[in-house]
Amino acid sequence: MPNVASPHAVNIADLRAAAKRRLPRAVFDYLDGTADDGVTGRDNISAFSEVVFQPRQAVMTAPDMATQVLGVDLNVPFLLTPIGYCRLLHPRGDYAAAAAAKRAGTGFIMATGAGTAMEDVAPLNDKFFYQVYKIGGHACAERAIARAQKLGVKALFLTIDTPVSGNRERDPRNGMGALMGRKWLPKIPYVPEIMRHPRWLARFLADGGTPAMPNVRGADGKALPAVDVADALAQANILWDDLAWIRKLWNGPIVIKGVMTAADARRAVEAGADGIVVSNHGGRQLDCVAATLRVLPGIAEAVKGKTTIFLDSGIRRGADIAKAICLGADAVLVGRAYAYGLAAAGDAGVDRALEILTADLFRSMKLLGAATVADLKPELVRLPAGFRVD
Amino acid sequence: MSKLASPHIVNIADLRALARKRLPNAAFDYLDGAAEGEVTARDNIAAFSEVIFKPRQAVMTNPDLATRVLGVDLAVPFILSPIGYSRMLHPRGELAGAGGAKRAGTGYILSTISGHPLEKVREQNDKVFFQVYLMGGREATKRAFARAKALGYKGLFVTIDTAVAGMRERDYRNGMGPLMAKSLLPKLPYLPEILSHPRWLARFLLDGGMPGLPNVVTDTGPLAATDVGRALENAHVCWDDLKWIREAWDGPIVIKGVMSADDAQRAVDEGADGIVVSNHAGRQLDGVAGSLRVLPGIVERVKGKTTIIFDGGIRRGGDIAKALCLGADAVLVGRAYAYGMAAAGDAGVDRALEILRADLVRTMKLLGANTVGELTPALVALKPGFRID
Repeated sequence: MPNVASPHAVNIADLRAAAKRRLPRAVFDYLDGTADDGVTGRDNISAFSEVVFQPRQAVMTAPDMATQVLGVDLNVPFLLTPIGYCRLLHPRGDYAAAAAAKRAGTGFIMATGAGTAMEDVAPLNDKFFYQVYKIGGHACAERAIARAQKLGVKALFLTIDTPVSGNRERDPRNGMGALMGRKWLPKIPYVPEIMRHPRWLARFLADGGTPAMPNVRGADGKALPAVDVADALAQANILWDDLAWIRKLWNGPIVIKGVMTAADARRAVEAGADGIVVSNHGGRQLDCVAATLRVLPGIAEAVKGKTTIFLDSGIRRGADIAKAICLGADAVLVGRAYAYGLAAAGDAGVDRALEILTADLFRSMKLLGAATVADLKPELVRLPAGFRVD
Repeated sequence: MSKLASPHIVNIADLRALARKRLPNAAFDYLDGAAEGEVTARDNIAAFSEVIFKPRQAVMTNPDLATRVLGVDLAVPFILSPIGYSRMLHPRGELAGAGGAKRAGTGYILSTISGHPLEKVREQNDKVFFQVYLMGGREATKRAFARAKALGYKGLFVTIDTAVAGMRERDYRNGMGPLMAKSLLPKLPYLPEILSHPRWLARFLLDGGMPGLPNVVTDTGPLAATDVGRALENAHVCWDDLKWIREAWDGPIVIKGVMSADDAQRAVDEGADGIVVSNHAGRQLDGVAGSLRVLPGIVERVKGKTTIIFDGGIRRGGDIAKALCLGADAVLVGRAYAYGMAAAGDAGVDRALEILRADLVRTMKLLGANTVGELTPALVALKPGFRID
């Protein structure tokens, strides 16, 4: 395992660099890539640098980062977002993420497209959430929701921004479809690159190769075999019309993930959503939508207090978390930030990523003069002209 | 040509790279280049990334791309724009363009500066239009109109932005003038580069070298091809010409090269059935706005009074969606298909159009739009300072 302590990994960008070295290009680009020209992917990050802090100086601060969302107490105002195929990043995949979240005192959201069964991961962290796609159709989703209910999952996150997979051009160039397919012959052109990462390959093969999707079980109880993301998402999207159906099956909080406009945020509230995630799927779906941070103020104006507001996409530092909360988020989701750590060093890498974000946020709150998450208010930031997209 | 399939060719930029490999510099730069510092050409593309999508999520979508412009039903809301000297890119030139458009269920606009005759192009596709320069004078133009009319061409695209050819510096550097001229000696310095593309050269020579202009027939026969600077001398169409053009052509007339609301209004006042918001892909006056920036103001002035067609910088289906959201009824694509043509003839055009079509379907699904009519301003936001009015 590479050393992820300081000075080797000082920030999330260092973990990203370590992940890039560790992973075959096809896998790294699956994690790191975005749709089309990456306009939204880049803007997700650069929007944060346009938000200007206005600190309250010379006040005593011993920041308390604890908060409560969806009835769950968290030590820090961030959760670990669902990442499909995260077992490809490291065999420990979902286990590592759930366990590290537990150690950080926060929650983990498991993906429908995970390579590990929810029953195996849930015992590692009682702050356990489940993300829903309709992969495999309604019946598969119903079976998964029933299992989640039985496990005491705290809330469902329903993803609404995937009527079709985004155009992630790095994936076809790296032969992702061929590599995930069953036939051997089409894989051959892509094999040499993968052989250059023997340590990853050995672990991957020891883990049994590409795992099936045990959260998507057919009527026969068998897990759906893994396919590439474009096929997986072809019929996976949750529609507004599905909410009534899901409500009947699920007795617990529902969060709508993928809200990018105040109109859709209001619609989610009218549909009875307990929470929304302001998300553009990490820039992986429709390119040229706004950075999530740009639409957050307008969405917060529309629905703040009526539902729990999460934000994801682009969080790479604790200060980013502070900015999102100042602009109206109740909590944020982090995705690539922990996944880079996972790919770089398994459990230790996720721990390091969460430690970096936690220490960052603690320091940022001190420097801002904010003693609690509730103190992170719009007064502590300024937005340049033209920042918002409404 | 499986080399055109994914993952070899994933987007239009890939086709451009392949075209660059296949063509001699002189031909590639003729296609790819623009005027002077190419400021406008770059802005045509950059302007698209300043338009921000505002999707409607979680609705059922099964996009229908069909639309109708100028009385013609199209399976997709884009038409293939006229490209002069297409036959220099590939011997199939205009035939490949018209045929590819036909297979995509859309229209093709034949340039006056074309190497295949109106008749042959019409055989490829019934949704054909003719683009008008006054090359060879008024009588030669009327002869072309008569042929187009008899063949059932659907409309004229009258280009108004070529008072003179733009200063396309790459053409000078590549010796385009000497290469297109008759005397051999001045060509010599430019020949080694061309010889380094033997496949292109063989095809070009087998095709008979530089084609004449079979759609510009003067009293002495078809005009010979010359470089674009000479071709566009005295070819310019002015507002005053519309009167006699109207008399010589009873069918839809579209004014191509509108870059201001005032000229759009004037086109409407002159009875134009359509306008093309276009800066000639940045090849004429450098320093004009990216054409997407002037679209909103033009739409505010003339939407509903004439068909508004947009042109300039379309490289992805998402770009098409943006132009339609901002008020265009349809768009023209030019370099996007021409890169494909240069790279691989008919198959390359097909691939380019397939990329754009698949892109647009995906984009409309992700936007939550089921029809072209649902692509409205409500689905986009503009960055501050985007518009030029």
